[in-house]
Amino acid sequence: MGIVTVLWEKWVEFRRDFYKITLAAMIAPLMYILVFGMGIQTISHGQPYLNFLIPGVVALTTMNGSFNAIAQNLNVQRLYEKAFDQVMISPTPLWQFIAGQIIGGSLRGIYAGCIIILLVMPIGLHLCFNGWSFLIMFLNGAVFSTLGVVVSFYARSHTDVPRFSNYVIMPMAYLCNTFFSSDSIPHGLREVIRYLPLSQTSSMIRSIANEEPFSYTGIGILAVYLAVLTALAFCFLYKKKNL
Amino acid sequence: MIELKNLTKKYDEFTAVDNLNLTIDTGGFFGLLGPNGAGKSTTIGMLSTLYLPTEGEILIDGERLTRQNTALKRKISVVTQEYSMRQDMTIEEIMEYQGRLYFVPKKQRRKKTRELLEFCGLTDYRRRTVRKLSGGMKRKLMVCRALLTEPEILLLDEPTAGMDALARRQMWNLLKRLNRNHMTILLTTHYMEEAEILCDRVGLMDRGRLKEADAPRVMIERLGRYAVDQAEKEEMRSLFFRTQEEAVRYIAGLKGDAALRNTTLEDVFLEKVGKYLENRR
Repeated sequence: MGIVTVLWEKWVEFRRDFYKITLAAMIAPLMYILVFGMGIQTISHGQPYLNFLIPGVVALTTMNGSFNAIAQNLNVQRLYEKAFDQVMISPTPLWQFIAGQIIGGSLRGIYAGCIIILLVMPIGLHLCFNGWSFLIMFLNGAVFSTLGVVVSFYARSHTDVPRFSNYVIMPMAYLCNTFFSSDSIPHGLREVIRYLPLSQTSSMIRSIANEEPFSYTGIGILAVYLAVLTALAFCFLYKKKNL
Repeated sequence: MIELKNLTKKYDEFTAVDNLNLTIDTGGFFGLLGPNGAGKSTTIGMLSTLYLPTEGEILIDGERLTRQNTALKRKISVVTQEYSMRQDMTIEEIMEYQGRLYFVPKKQRRKKTRELLEFCGLTDYRRRTVRKLSGGMKRKLMVCRALLTEPEILLLDEPTAGMDALARRQMWNLLKRLNRNHMTILLTTHYMEEAEILCDRVGLMDRGRLKEADAPRVMIERLGRYAVDQAEKEEMRSLFFRTQEEAVRYIAGLKGDAALRNTTLEDVFLEKVGKYLENRR
């Protein structure tokens, strides 16, 4: 099965770069927690700000972990190493290749998210992370892995992926209900941001963490993003005239 | 059998391959020759489904080759002109990955990997990453990788570029052996000697068009089996003759220096394509 082949390739990469991947997944989120949560101690909605912040940081770490695991890697394979050519030439069905990338990227996202959950455990905030949390993290990772696949396919140079990260991923990381509630964003922009995948993920993970009911609509929204981005990736692989 | 029917590839206004019609029989060894930009690599690119044809089609054993046709793709292996491998993987991992991509059973891919690496002298380097290999070793690895899947059709785009003389000879012997075992091989090369030694048919391409396709021997016969190289002012000129007697008679009537030799495929290439290129300059 082609999916297993891609996962094997991801595993080889993970095993080799274990320390680099793990450290990279830890540094930025830990800084956010230290600076915004522990350095600037505030109260949000009558609770310690960390209770608000940590679910948001877990969501954005999942996003970054998944996107970065796929976008840059695939971009290098396609434009620089040309290793992607061998995949195209091979009899591995291309849908299996994409599915493998999505699953592999999601798992990397979950791994990055889990590191943060483990690191904040000693703080003793009594946040709840259950099966639903991990399902949502997986879905969020799947959305951003697929976005990574699409961006790497449509990129024309090595600099396009970092540029996309700067213009899209980074603003999302700050604005999508991660560090502050999207309710305080001006009307108009607020509605747009609310329907972005990271806003939905942050919101759902936060509700679960605080043992409050969450809206299943968020899962539907993530599924719609996943479907649209997957269609774009397929379109590229099967229809693009020159790879 | 590989059939290219009215195959055309355009990049905006530029036509890289223009209405190419070609048949390569099963078990044949076909060489595609041409200057840089003739359309050889684009043809290989279409055969490996990296590029989709603008017009025309490719049939393999009567079946249309598409990106979705995984059963047909299983029959084909490609050695691309550029090194197309993950730089951070070891030789063993590259082979394992290839085997998995082609669904080669575990036992078979391990056994075949051992054999191929041994044959190409790469066994001692199997745990070395691609990044740390020399150009020749990378080229050998790409061939090993292509052969791991035991393809029926092997496409080679400049396979011996960057190899030393010994490695090139070893490669030729390997390709000849594979062809004897009924593997269909399509090769593009800049080395005329390589094509003459290996291929049972060659095609001369220029500006996307196939100018001529035949057995090297027939092409040479058609031009004249004997060549006379004649120094003319500052340039060397070659003339071709059907018989040795004709060539000798011609030399006898010359005042300056001249040398008699057998005509090669390079002469055919230079006559058919080279002269045109010279005029174009």
